[in-house]
Amino acid sequence: MTKRIQSASCLKTFTTVFSSCILLMTTWAQNTIHLRDFSFFGKSGNTWRISGDVNADLIKNNLLVTKPGSGILVNQPDENNHGEDLLTLLQHSDADVEFDYMMARASNSGVYLQGRYEIQLLDSWGITRPRYGDNGGIYERWDEARGKGKEGYEGYAPRQNVSMAPGLWQHLKISFQAPRFNEAGVKIENARFLRVVLNGIVIHENVELMGPTRGSLGVEVPTGPLRIQGDHGAVAFKNINITNYDKQRPELNGLRYFIYKGKFDAEPDVKKLAPEANGSSLILTSNLDSKITSKFLVRYTGNLTIKETGEYQFNMNLPGGVGLIKIDSKTVVPMGRGKSSGKMTLTVGDHALELLYFKMEDWENPTLALSLAGPGIREFLISDANTGMSDDSDPILVDGSSTSILRSFMDIPQSPRITHAVNVSSVQQLHYTYDLDKGNIVQVWKGGFLDATSMWHDRGDGSSKPIGATKFFGNPTFSLSIISSPGQPWITDSAGTGYLPKGYMLDAANRPVFRYFIYGAKVSDAIKAIDNGHGLQREITVDNAPINMYVLLARASAIEDMGSGTYLVDSKSYFLHLDSAPANALIRDINGTKELIVPIQNKLTYAIIF
Amino acid sequence: MAAFVFAMYIPALPAQESPKEEDFFNIMKVSSPEGTLLEVGGLTLMPNGDLAISTRRGDIFIVENPSSRQPYFRKFASGLHEVLGLAYKGGSLYCAQRGELTKLTDSNMDGKADVFETIYAWPLSGHYHEYSFGPVLAPDGSFFVSGNVAFGDEEWWRGESRVPWRGWMMHIFEDGKMEPYATGFRSPCGLGMIDGELFYADNQGDWMGSGGVVHVKKGSFVGHPAGLRWAGLPGSPVKITAEQLFSFVSPRKIKDSLGRYIKPENIVKEKFVTLFEAKEKFPEIQVPAVWLPHGVLGISNSEILKIPENNFGPFAGLLLVGDQGQSKISRVFMEKVNGEFQGAAWDFRGGFQSGVLRMAWGKDGSLFIGETNRGWGSAGEANEGLQRLVWNNKIPFEMRTVKAMPDGFEIEFTKAVNKKSAEDIASYNVQSYTYKYHPVYGSPVVNTKTHIIKGVKVSDDGMRVRVIVEGLRRYYIHQLNLSGVTDKNNSFSLLHPAVYYTLNNIPEGKKLSMSEVSTKNSLIVAKASSGKKPAETALNNADQPSAKTATTSGKIPTAAEVKPLLLKYTCNACHNEEKKQVGPSFKEIAKRNYSADKILSLIYSPQKSNWPDYPTEMPPMPQVPKEDARKIANWIRSIR
Repeated sequence: MTKRIQSASCLKTFTTVFSSCILLMTTWAQNTIHLRDFSFFGKSGNTWRISGDVNADLIKNNLLVTKPGSGILVNQPDENNHGEDLLTLLQHSDADVEFDYMMARASNSGVYLQGRYEIQLLDSWGITRPRYGDNGGIYERWDEARGKGKEGYEGYAPRQNVSMAPGLWQHLKISFQAPRFNEAGVKIENARFLRVVLNGIVIHENVELMGPTRGSLGVEVPTGPLRIQGDHGAVAFKNINITNYDKQRPELNGLRYFIYKGKFDAEPDVKKLAPEANGSSLILTSNLDSKITSKFLVRYTGNLTIKETGEYQFNMNLPGGVGLIKIDSKTVVPMGRGKSSGKMTLTVGDHALELLYFKMEDWENPTLALSLAGPGIREFLISDANTGMSDDSDPILVDGSSTSILRSFMDIPQSPRITHAVNVSSVQQLHYTYDLDKGNIVQVWKGGFLDATSMWHDRGDGSSKPIGATKFFGNPTFSLSIISSPGQPWITDSAGTGYLPKGYMLDAANRPVFRYFIYGAKVSDAIKAIDNGHGLQREITVDNAPINMYVLLARASAIEDMGSGTYLVDSKSYFLHLDSAPANALIRDINGTKELIVPIQNKLTYAIIF
Repeated sequence: MAAFVFAMYIPALPAQESPKEEDFFNIMKVSSPEGTLLEVGGLTLMPNGDLAISTRRGDIFIVENPSSRQPYFRKFASGLHEVLGLAYKGGSLYCAQRGELTKLTDSNMDGKADVFETIYAWPLSGHYHEYSFGPVLAPDGSFFVSGNVAFGDEEWWRGESRVPWRGWMMHIFEDGKMEPYATGFRSPCGLGMIDGELFYADNQGDWMGSGGVVHVKKGSFVGHPAGLRWAGLPGSPVKITAEQLFSFVSPRKIKDSLGRYIKPENIVKEKFVTLFEAKEKFPEIQVPAVWLPHGVLGISNSEILKIPENNFGPFAGLLLVGDQGQSKISRVFMEKVNGEFQGAAWDFRGGFQSGVLRMAWGKDGSLFIGETNRGWGSAGEANEGLQRLVWNNKIPFEMRTVKAMPDGFEIEFTKAVNKKSAEDIASYNVQSYTYKYHPVYGSPVVNTKTHIIKGVKVSDDGMRVRVIVEGLRRYYIHQLNLSGVTDKNNSFSLLHPAVYYTLNNIPEGKKLSMSEVSTKNSLIVAKASSGKKPAETALNNADQPSAKTATTSGKIPTAAEVKPLLLKYTCNACHNEEKKQVGPSFKEIAKRNYSADKILSLIYSPQKSNWPDYPTEMPPMPQVPKEDARKIANWIRSIR
């Protein structure tokens, strides 16, 4: 309709306010485990080794094949050597732990925060209803006193199963908060998994742990080692990072506020102004006086007590406002609109804090968010968490539990917006986006199907987003091209190809079969989830294919030929498998990028396994 | 003065209250299964009487027995991309998705589409505003589909065509061929194929002073310059270039000292051009056949539909035009003068639950109304809906048609008039105005002129009146108010006493002689007999700023005093006292605690950035006299 968009977006939600701060976060006290040897751990038993490369066998259970080198930590137990857990020498309290890992087929492992609270690592490939014991689950607690068959309790399933196939690198990031104890050693606050992100998808958020999970090292303590389970199965790790947050947070006290009415373009000389209201406050908040909602200035003064010397990061967010922060009369966050931040090195002791917040725009509710991060101190919100929390948009989620199709605009990294995208789900929870402008798959994902809020809330912008964990196939390109010589580049546009999209037909199971013409040949492109949920199978059929027509199966920085028609793409991100491996499949290098191309006469079938 | 004129008339009117729209046309519910979200984008009747509906959520429903107490809803297709149009042809449904014209066929007869064939796909940039509308079917079975412009990144107010054929009408054939047909479209949501001719309706916006019904011919340019970017491409039938146009009317792409573009705003005292002046220079410009004055007959016009013979009684053969923002339907009569369409428009029926986007005739002669307002706002508060408009076989007292005459207009009524009232010149007043053609969002009405009515001739049967109007102005909207004309039988006023005639051409022909017309003017007689100076008073009209009133600037006017002003200046087209409509409620505005001066300045120069949550920009309203604007401002301040 006649309607149009306002260029400035307005951030209103607390979540937005705070999570945007997290993006700005710099980390302190980060330990990267170098994985040249076992010096980071205590005893390692005889199944762990340091390797330079690793692959899983997709047929045999519990088998990882390694190559010499360093950088990868591999556990390879066998019938005689059942293996032992690895414990870091580092004792952590609150911590962020992040790593890549690879499961062997049917294998089982886990990471225990403080040696006590386990996130399960498992080959959960193809599972559609994950439980606590699946990959990414918070493992159950165990109490025999509960009676036989009822010992297990308080396990938490991941929100969705976004686990990848064995032999692929997966990524886990855990933000953990340690239990708190008083001086007498009595626990006063439970441990929490603040956030667990598997393969880019949040699978747990703010889960309180009433006690240690099954197989804990012992009773709960303020600090403990990171522990990797080694006695259950073959697993590999790399890029392990531990950021320990063991230092005390600064505290704000003696807060006083002064409210001045009016519009302020620059920092005023407050001595010359008479405050409309003033008083003391227990917390930094924009929620001071309900009658003054627009065009005002709040000046806070107070005392910031620093308990750990080091560099501190101040992240402030004032939607529709402008503000600054001074410490000991020196500017740390200069006058800025919306989001602004600054750093300052502060020593132990009391520091005078002054914060100015000008509420500028009428349409925003007063919102003041300030978060701090420091040496060994995880970024935390030091201001009132209860302002600006309202958000009137309910997410609009599209169920993918049956085959469904939804067209939308689709944004993928490093590519213009895809404007003729068709998104298709499956009961196996394997989904894909097809680009009708190119006749090709541009991404696949597993887990939840689509979030259509950005298309269907308010006037929307026509786009939707995958809910689950996604594999991108790079800048969209055509599936088919004529390649007359091995070095001839793949086509970049439809010029000279006569490319003509013809839409799709639904098969008996309601799955779309895409149709188009290229080089005068009629093409049908049928994609379906493999029954066991291990991947997608694609069958491209070309009537009257011209000579030298090829299919581009992959374009990536690395493509490994694993033999028998199997290829590992993009640093072990996904597999491709050709059912009948043609001898003339070709991995070629075009300007440093690898392309896997296969000639096609009439039909080509292959699987994308992830 | 207006109030005074009106006051003079009140005693002459019957005490009995005149009927209302709902006394003739009932809005009925169409029941649907709970949870069915009918954000209607397209509506079409199938040959068997089933109603097909497409939605902004991408579903297509087929409704069996749609006029019955409990229609049956079948989901025919889903997963399409924001479908804003639907047509039936040869056993298949055709719909415009954002990016293509799609043919949907149920080849295995299981009641659901299984073939989704791309007839023609057009490029998009992926901007949210790149909606596509249609198709409408031409008599030869080909299709017309129209496409919205995108907006600029920095110049978010400026419609732009980022890829070929945005802002164009595409003529698409079953075999996948596409011929670019016409351009100049901004937000061409309303399409209509009327007796084999293509018409369209746009929304107010940049370069679009007001909505209206426009005849679209091959090679037409209808006003918005964005699409001209592609006029040089092969196959384009439009020859005018943006450079040529901008040498005549400035696009006002001006940067400030910091290098940022300045949003063009209405300039109150300036030399401006109109679309018809541009047409004199560029003949391919197609001016609206019938303007639908902004805020009066809608703010975002939608579907154009002809009333078939035997439907809606006296209105058969006329056109209906929906309006999304005002949740209502206007009625249009068109005639051809000097080979071009022009005609008259009236209010017809309001009060729909959401924004009226689509209309389709049921087999029983009732009208299905497909509605939506999500993200766009509308007078009807619901987000979506499917309703049915049913005529109850009673004939309202209305103007049926208005035709241009060499010396004025001929008005045809649905019922015989009371001759005494109709022969009285004081029963009529006529004024004319037009809009600016400029890159600003919307336009105030400009060049307003009040016309002297020299005489009236009532036909013997009382069904027709000819009005001699002095100083007719070609291309202008002529607004005729027949507030004094009553019907013969019970002295009711017209259901809709105002008509808006777009006089693109003044016909040649025989003028009435003064000897055969009535020149009686009861007002002058009344005035004269009371010894006051008559002529000026009688001939001044409702749109002139009233110079003096009892209310002085500081005083807070009552709601009763302000209500007529809100109506007169069309404020209430978008604002309600209590509820959010297209714009914020007056109470919400009051909460901002603006000074009266600030409100005044915002009436004349609205600031879109003050209300980022509202999608539709408010046009400047310089036509509101200061005195009245101040009254409105003081009233708004008082309702906090």
